[in-house]
Amino acid sequence: MDAYLQSGLEALGDATRMAIFQKLAKGPLAVNELAGTLPVSRPAVSQHLKVLKDAGLVTDTRDGTRRLYQLNPEGIALLRAHFDRVWEKAMSAFQATAEQSKPRGKHAADRRSRRT
Amino acid sequence: MPQIEEAVVRKSVRVGVPVERAFSVFVEQMETWWPAEHHIGAQPFETIFVEPRTGGRWYERDAQGNECNWGRVLAWGPPHSVTFSWHLGPDWRFNPDLAKASEVEIRFTAEGPSATLVELTHSCLERHGEGYEQLRSMLDGPNAWANTLAAFAKAAGAL
Repeated sequence: MDAYLQSGLEALGDATRMAIFQKLAKGPLAVNELAGTLPVSRPAVSQHLKVLKDAGLVTDTRDGTRRLYQLNPEGIALLRAHFDRVWEKAMSAFQATAEQSKPRGKHAADRRSRRT
Repeated sequence: MPQIEEAVVRKSVRVGVPVERAFSVFVEQMETWWPAEHHIGAQPFETIFVEPRTGGRWYERDAQGNECNWGRVLAWGPPHSVTFSWHLGPDWRFNPDLAKASEVEIRFTAEGPSATLVELTHSCLERHGEGYEQLRSMLDGPNAWANTLAAFAKAAGAL
């Protein structure tokens, strides 16, 4: 798999989250069912589910007294979740760099190098 | 609640520098802030170039001089706006077809001598139709996502 596809899957950059995602790929599950098959606590599973849900990768529905988690089947939502993360990271980095940077630029450098 | 029907992503940040500086850092020093893991070439990029004109190329170059295209400059309006075509679907492969490219517009608005509002709009995400279908088939196929992720996990050494 190429490096860029890997970074595209960065939303799942935690091994436990990826394991949760893999299990949900086979069908909806409740928190207890997930916790029972993973070497992490139920609160930890809930926290990972929240991250996945916030990223738009997982949705939940109420089934009687329990809450079932499933992969979000909506492609646009996945696309949005993906690009949202890419730009969130990029724009934060841009902001930090812009405020630290010294004035310089390739366009000016190109002009200088052409003169020499 | 995010509007999941709308295939648009918006981001905005305020930076404490003049609008000209903000624009310059964005387009002329992109390699200083772009997340290093987001490269499409086989090797990490050394420099990211934006040719300063409408129709200009947007590409990365690695230390060996290999170049990989990212997109095109669709509109060039320094220091207030620049619009790029984005040719990378969710499969993260470059697709040269402009009809299948989304658009990234960045607007720079001066809010003072050393304050700039930078607003990014990534629109037409639905044009990554093939990638969209690929995403869908990955989801629909028997254990397809699981296989993809297992491959990813193995590659990343995460499991």
